[in-house]
Amino acid sequence: MSAYQELRQKAEEAWQAVESPPRLRISVGIATCSRAVGANETLEAIRQEVSRRGLEADVAITGCWGLCYAEPIVEIAKPDGSRILYQKVSAERVPQLVEEALASARGVCRELALATLSSQPVDGVPSLSSLDFMAVQEARRLMANCGIIDPEDIDHYIARGGYEGLAKALDMPQEDVLWEISDAGAGLWGRGGAAFPTARKWEFLRDARSEPKYMIGNADEGDPGSFVNRTLMESDPHSIIEGMTIGAYATGASYGYIYLREEYPLCLERMELALRQARERGLLGQNILGSGFSYDMEVVRGAGSYVCGEETGLIASVEDRRGMPKIRPPFPAQSGVFGKPTNVNNVETYANVPLILRHGAVWYASLGSEENNGTKMFSLSGHIQRVGVLEVPFGTPLRRLVYEAGGGPPEGRSLKAIQPGGPLGGIIHARDVDLPLEPEPFRQKGALLGSGGLVIFDDSACIVDMCLYFEWFAEDESCGRCTTCRIGTQRLVEIIRRISNGDGRPSDIDLLRLLGDNMRYANCAHGQAAPTAVMNSLEAFLEEFQEHIEGKRCPAKVCRGLVRYEIVGKSPGLPEAAAICPTAAIVVHSDGRYTIDQGLCIKCDACRELAPEAVQVVDAVATSD
Amino acid sequence: MTDTTKSPPELEQLLTDLEPQDADLLAALHRIQEAYGYVPRKAIPLLAEKLRMTPAMVYGAITFYSEFRLEPPARTTISWCSGPACRLKGGENIRRALEAVLGIGLEESTDDKAVGLHLHQCDGTCALAPLIRLDGHPTGPLTVSEVIKLARALKEKGG
Repeated sequence: MSAYQELRQKAEEAWQAVESPPRLRISVGIATCSRAVGANETLEAIRQEVSRRGLEADVAITGCWGLCYAEPIVEIAKPDGSRILYQKVSAERVPQLVEEALASARGVCRELALATLSSQPVDGVPSLSSLDFMAVQEARRLMANCGIIDPEDIDHYIARGGYEGLAKALDMPQEDVLWEISDAGAGLWGRGGAAFPTARKWEFLRDARSEPKYMIGNADEGDPGSFVNRTLMESDPHSIIEGMTIGAYATGASYGYIYLREEYPLCLERMELALRQARERGLLGQNILGSGFSYDMEVVRGAGSYVCGEETGLIASVEDRRGMPKIRPPFPAQSGVFGKPTNVNNVETYANVPLILRHGAVWYASLGSEENNGTKMFSLSGHIQRVGVLEVPFGTPLRRLVYEAGGGPPEGRSLKAIQPGGPLGGIIHARDVDLPLEPEPFRQKGALLGSGGLVIFDDSACIVDMCLYFEWFAEDESCGRCTTCRIGTQRLVEIIRRISNGDGRPSDIDLLRLLGDNMRYANCAHGQAAPTAVMNSLEAFLEEFQEHIEGKRCPAKVCRGLVRYEIVGKSPGLPEAAAICPTAAIVVHSDGRYTIDQGLCIKCDACRELAPEAVQVVDAVATSD
Repeated sequence: MTDTTKSPPELEQLLTDLEPQDADLLAALHRIQEAYGYVPRKAIPLLAEKLRMTPAMVYGAITFYSEFRLEPPARTTISWCSGPACRLKGGENIRRALEAVLGIGLEESTDDKAVGLHLHQCDGTCALAPLIRLDGHPTGPLTVSEVIKLARALKEKGG
């Protein structure tokens, strides 16, 4: 029996107890989203409830299904095979959940039931795959383990086919491994945003002369509003380790780094644990699975820098320096970490590799569009009813994610725009919501599909204000090395800020266009892509810019310089509104009237929250005499 | 938060296993900040010697990465989420209100070191937008008036 088969057999025994639990099994999804809404407390409450009632039960953890809107999620699996997911189980709801779900063999806590894991509805509880959020997801491949396995237990991963791809690869010539992922085979390309063919990048590394060679997993997921890498690392960390190890074998790399952003402490914990477990099982280190191939890796924890997501910035950061991007060439494959040949891919790219090796290129290509094989993970946030992470085949219309999975904008609101690919990815107008999710159609609109973040704007959003945000972000995160980016982003912010303050000039539109044009010559992708959202908006939302500049009006009433707060009526909430005002701008007159001192008002909206009938946001310029 | 009841280990002890050219600087700075709550300036020459860098390079790195601080943090840190989902849902209003109540800007602390304001990058807990973190603990979705009450209470009780 091979070393891998031996591992697999042992793992399957352990997994058996999860898949067909001999006794009651209650598991809580523990990930960043669920912890933020109290999943750790829920887990503790379940432990206490189980011991208080003296129940014969196992309490366990899993990763995340991607259903952020329903967290904390608890699964109750009974020995008869019934498995039901419960949603929004706060610690206070635990006694009710346990009471009702365990009242009888077929007991269900209806109020909290979300879905059953069976393919058919059970006692009126719908099947998970029939939920709107899940139905869009034709097949989960990268997320096949998310929510199902305990990400802190390597046996769960192995039992479900994990490390089989690596075992297969180690039996193949390097050339054949590269073929599997190449355009002739699976056609895998990089998921980090640039969409460069992965096998070609790997060939550069393989052909590089110098030693040692490094593999790097980019987990710096710095795009605000993107959290797909986080979900993958928290819920299935071994898929990334396995993919990187296969890459190392195919290219001759002997060491690897996963560069992980500071903001993801749970990812750090789970990736480091996964590395230790892989080492213990002989899946990392010397003579992996008895093949003679040796490779190991570690996690480098970032410290809050967006440009470290750019591969040369990342490399500088690993080299103990400020994370400032360098001019390419030389490319990392020639001179990367410590001047040695290096390959950098997004961690989601690597997670595809074991699947390709395991199931073959034909299987891989069975999902996707004409031009792009496979699936992609996306995160949905912003003005949307269901926030979460999902996986769809390339070519799936954006509309299905926004309206079917996400449930569209909140009640009474309409879709205005979609921001793909982070602050540098651009803005897509609502009329383009039918675009298929793949790089080319987005490129044609001057935007980037990017690494998977989709932020939804409804009609309450101001495009000028969001452009100000994106450019502020680009300025704040610019490394400052090249003038084009350092000063370019600064000028973009200055011009948009004055437009938003009501001091815009008609010539500003052309100035912004000129800047956008010039910034294409910045040294790295950060500066080059920084003006994308503004350039898109000057195409798709030109009237809104003009309304700010010429009409001195913010139609969404967001831009501070163009609105003011007025008290226009009476409300029992006014005394409280006056008390909450952080600058004491609300004046109470002797006749009982309330007014706002415009010199003090910072337009924070707190008073309107408390006295919505009395406080109104009006156009600052249009209403003044 | 850093446990202030016991004194942190000597800096040298924290740095024993570090090597030059081994991707160790960020790890070292994290370790020091976890032990001390910030990176004391006396750590700079020690690190430089250990990693065979100049003190200027170490200092440059500390100031380049936004998570490292050279001063002790306030007793309570409010981290304001700057992400797009929060922005769309009134995050800017929350920032303005926080700054007005506390009388400080981002990356500053009140004079009595009771409360500090820190810019937090989006970590994808967008289901809670708009949110802040109180000493790392996410709280949301919040209204502006809730934030004002919270900031006033913190200021009142001294962090």
